[in-house]
Amino acid sequence: MNFLYLDHAATSPMRESVWDAMRDADRDGFGNPSGSHQLSRNAKNIVERSRESIASSVGAVPEEIIFTSSGTESDNWSIKAPFGLQEPTEQDLVVSSIEHEAVLASADWVEKKGFNVSYVKPDNNGKVQYENYITKVKESTRVASLMWGNNETGIIQPVSKIGNQLINKKELLFHSDIVQGFVSTKIDLHKAGINSAAMSAHKIGGPKGIGFMFLHNEYKIESYFHGGKQELERRAGTVNVVGIAGFAAAVIEHHKRFDEEVGVMTEEKSKFENLISENKNIEIIGFKEERLPHISNIQVKGVNSENLLVLLDLDGVGVSRGSACASGAQKPSHVLTAMGIGPEKANSHLRISFGWNTREGDGKKGAEKVLKAIKEVS
Amino acid sequence: MRVLVAMSGGVDSSVVAGILKEKGHEVIGVTMKLWEGDNGEMPETGCCTASDSEDARKVAAKLDIPYYVLDYTSSFSENVVDNFISMYSEGLTPNPCIECNRSVKFDHFLDQANKLGCEKVATGHYAKIIDNNGSLELHRADYESKDQSYVLHMLTEDKLSKVLFPLGTISKPKVRQIAARLGLSTAFKKDSQDICFVGKKDYREFVENRVNLYNSGKIIDIQGNQLGTHRGIHEFTVGQRKGLPGGSQEPRFVLEIDSSSNNIVIGTKKQLEKDFFLLKEVSFVKDLNYTDLQIQIRYNSETTPCSIEVLSDDSLEVKLSTPTTGVSPGQFGVLYSGTKLIGGGRIENSEKVRILY
Repeated sequence: MNFLYLDHAATSPMRESVWDAMRDADRDGFGNPSGSHQLSRNAKNIVERSRESIASSVGAVPEEIIFTSSGTESDNWSIKAPFGLQEPTEQDLVVSSIEHEAVLASADWVEKKGFNVSYVKPDNNGKVQYENYITKVKESTRVASLMWGNNETGIIQPVSKIGNQLINKKELLFHSDIVQGFVSTKIDLHKAGINSAAMSAHKIGGPKGIGFMFLHNEYKIESYFHGGKQELERRAGTVNVVGIAGFAAAVIEHHKRFDEEVGVMTEEKSKFENLISENKNIEIIGFKEERLPHISNIQVKGVNSENLLVLLDLDGVGVSRGSACASGAQKPSHVLTAMGIGPEKANSHLRISFGWNTREGDGKKGAEKVLKAIKEVS
Repeated sequence: MRVLVAMSGGVDSSVVAGILKEKGHEVIGVTMKLWEGDNGEMPETGCCTASDSEDARKVAAKLDIPYYVLDYTSSFSENVVDNFISMYSEGLTPNPCIECNRSVKFDHFLDQANKLGCEKVATGHYAKIIDNNGSLELHRADYESKDQSYVLHMLTEDKLSKVLFPLGTISKPKVRQIAARLGLSTAFKKDSQDICFVGKKDYREFVENRVNLYNSGKIIDIQGNQLGTHRGIHEFTVGQRKGLPGGSQEPRFVLEIDSSSNNIVIGTKKQLEKDFFLLKEVSFVKDLNYTDLQIQIRYNSETTPCSIEVLSDDSLEVKLSTPTTGVSPGQFGVLYSGTKLIGGGRIENSEKVRILY
């Protein structure tokens, strides 16, 4: 099918090496890694080798990586578990208002339980300001969360600066959703002062349904799933060996080809943005900010981008308006709203995102198609 | 040709998409998201629920057509819901489906279809468009028990030229048969009857949750004698029998809701009968030389023979051949000659109605 896929921030296809690793993993290690025979040991080896590769890709030690089903599960765990078992106390939660829905909906849950939640807004350019964030974090703050790079605008947040400032607060869990950040930047979790992190495999060419939670080895967190003693007794449930093998294969290839792949993303995004800027009604969100190389968010003045999305799809181009809700209708983005962009303008934006299998020329083709769709709809 | 099909997730619009696809058209399925709860959730009952759009999505996937959910919540809320609430607070009986057809489905939606390069919009309404020597006419559906031309009376010829109603010549059982033949999961789905944004809730509760309408007033008879008090005129509709002061020989009914004096006028069934009223905001009437005019004053009610007198470009006076009890200001009166729809408008009381008292 001749389809121009520019929605990698939503998900990406699996790499060949991932298919291979998953098939091999089930052939050699279909045993339950918690069992005590040869096939279980094979499976256990696959899981632990994978954990090592994945840990080293983010500067962590293997014991700090707990496999989960998704970035969403990891976010839920870090945000909710510290508040889950207690009666409301003076403790509170700090999150930025541009976090992923997994974090914001978890924060909402914490708030409904009776805890205080502080939301830190970004500035008008989409970046959360260090001072604003730090002043919200008090002695009583139990968890603070700030994503590495925003999934809608790509704007990189001052996680490292804030993490290092908070590093001596041992009662505080500083959490970061690195799902998009990992795709196109290098992340060292310890150096960034991060205590817990959420990551998912399918954004970098791994399978869907597998993610990890990083938990700094000096921190403990209440279990969320109860049952068997898998994952160092922290997360019950038969271990997803095939998924983990695929995840590790994706991380390894992503690491190996990082410069080349991110080089293409950077180049194609830049070509896309140069060409698209010929239309004076288009504004690139956060253009002056440091952004993830794979995400571009544009606003087309006076055009309902719902129509652009449909026309582009009919023309064989896949883009999005940020994150879709279950019903499929797209609401004005909470990220753009937090940046002070009104609903009228927030309805006119499109997210274009590149990924590991983006080819040379995709940015140019994408810009041409978007400009054509704008012409048709105006 | 490229056709946008409004898919509600019910069997009718599913079959419309199926038929048009079989005819070789480029079909695009769209569910209009009209309404959401305070936290952006889809409604749980009525039409447009989350499970309805899921049904539409399944049908679209089965038919292998592109499918989108498009956001009409602000248009719907401004044009339909606000109107619904304000009409109730004025003691009128709104018809939100007609309001939605007029200002959302066959207005904003047609515009959007045009922007998306679609020549036509198709819906699952039961009504027929007939080309009579180059002039487009709207007729009742062949399958009369499902006929929906009443709620489409506002469609001008210009709008009719952009619309397809493929079910106008098909019976409901046949529609289900086609759905089953096409393997659509909606083939035997129950029809929805609720007001979509009110759902299973009482509409009064819905209105009361949004505005404070409690403003007590008098209940009077037609001579002006006070018979009781009421808590707010929104609790009454013309023709209502429940909740009125008792003690009379004959059952009593609401005759009139007077929002200016905040009074409810009640009386006997005979007094409820009217044979004169006005139609305002009239659309679609071009030619008035009919000798067999009939008017329908409610959805799914029988028609009554009538004659009309034109008062202005968009208002008419209607005289019924026999007085009837169902005349409700705010509701729509739609004129037919045989199966052909002549036009329609919003019912208002005529001063002449007093003669009957």
